[in-house]
Amino acid sequence: MNQADVSKLMSRLKIKYSPVKRKLKNSEGPVGRAKKIQKTLTALIKHERIELNFNRADETRGYVERLISDAIRYGDCHRATMELADYWLLEKQLVHKLFKVLVPRFENCPVSYTRMYRAPRPCPGNHFERAVLELRGNPYPSLLPDTISNRNLIHNVLLDEAHKEYRAQKYAEIARKLEAADENVAKSSGDSDGPESSGLETPEEIKASTEAQVASEVQPSACYEGHGRGGSEESRGGTAAGNPSERAGLPLGAILSRASKRRVSQHR
Amino acid sequence: MDMMNRRNHIDIPEFYVGSVLAVSSSNPHAPEKVTRFVGICIQRGGCGLRAFFIIRNVVDHQGVEMFYEMYSPVIQKIEVLRLEKRLDNELLYLRDALPEYSTFPLDMEPEYLPEGSAIPVNPIKVKLKPRPWLERWERQELKGVQDLGLPKRFYERAAAVAKPWEKYDLMAEYRESIPAEEQEEIFAEVYSQLHQLEVTRKIMKRKRTFVKPKKMG
Repeated sequence: MNQADVSKLMSRLKIKYSPVKRKLKNSEGPVGRAKKIQKTLTALIKHERIELNFNRADETRGYVERLISDAIRYGDCHRATMELADYWLLEKQLVHKLFKVLVPRFENCPVSYTRMYRAPRPCPGNHFERAVLELRGNPYPSLLPDTISNRNLIHNVLLDEAHKEYRAQKYAEIARKLEAADENVAKSSGDSDGPESSGLETPEEIKASTEAQVASEVQPSACYEGHGRGGSEESRGGTAAGNPSERAGLPLGAILSRASKRRVSQHR
Repeated sequence: MDMMNRRNHIDIPEFYVGSVLAVSSSNPHAPEKVTRFVGICIQRGGCGLRAFFIIRNVVDHQGVEMFYEMYSPVIQKIEVLRLEKRLDNELLYLRDALPEYSTFPLDMEPEYLPEGSAIPVNPIKVKLKPRPWLERWERQELKGVQDLGLPKRFYERAAAVAKPWEKYDLMAEYRESIPAEEQEEIFAEVYSQLHQLEVTRKIMKRKRTFVKPKKMG
């Protein structure tokens, strides 16, 4: 059987890679294959987004990830890593970029450092699949369509309606609880003037706890994006998450006041 | 699982290529049914229950190599007489080296290292016998041999045939190895048992050193 060669410690690749290496059709044999990958790798690190044939992109993706993960693991004071970077990057200023820009960028990145998309081919042309290979956190605008801001897309319409329904349910519950608490308070103040009986929540506590609960449940799930969406992430994050009540279409205060006007105005 | 079971019965110590070992294995034809062979480990390979190592020594001016499978039930004891590493991963060139580099006395005493010290690397440079050799040693990057002293055409041919790009082939390297995260997962499975074995081994060591004084006469 094959004994794994564990003399060198390397990080796990976070991408899918083929178990067989592609020869990347070239006339010089394995030397030519290495040269091709060198050129593609250098171009990717230089431009951060390149469009090329699928097989070449897939092959170099593994090499890019390995190079970056080695640079992160060993740093630039490690001779072997520096020799690797020197071999693979044909332009020597990119070695500086690798260690000074890309390593801090991807240090704490739990996902792959590169993204690969399938690209359309010009119709009367070769039958080779095209691909776009890019580094995460590149300064260009995202290639994927923006499915969050446009609330008229069907999935957003459905989600908004679902949110509204959910919030309506929750507010109905709050209203019921407030009315129940109202009655308790009325009863206890009728029986004895003093602190309210323990075990029953005050309307204020109910309001605060349920508001927090609803807000947290309606929050969209955080997905890792890094610096991906060209700087507009914070604003989009604000519009998406900050005003769930507006997305539901009803301000919180109006619903509560409808339920129990008397109690809310007293506490405000 | 089977490897752990075997290790529960026999202590297979840590050793590297270049360490001097003494292996006692059962032999039905020996007078005491046990054969003890001492030598330097020149190669380790295989995976799992097939893991093997090769030990070399020169006995009566005759080079002898013994092939042992680590988990074979035939092996009764493995002792490490000298724990050290060499500059190369495989010492197969000792077959073409002068016999003095492969001779080790059969009654060698074990040499102990202070606990917790790093494994010493022996920087010895071995002198090879004149050609013909079993392999083209000039084409392999051997660090543990002295200057081979061959005519220039050998080195030129070696350079022409060499594949320097293989050294930098990151994906080939990755496919052949096990990444660090997976190693940790695997190790976590066996760690507790291995730790217990180590503890019992230390206790056994201390137990053996105490020798009860015998009554004379």
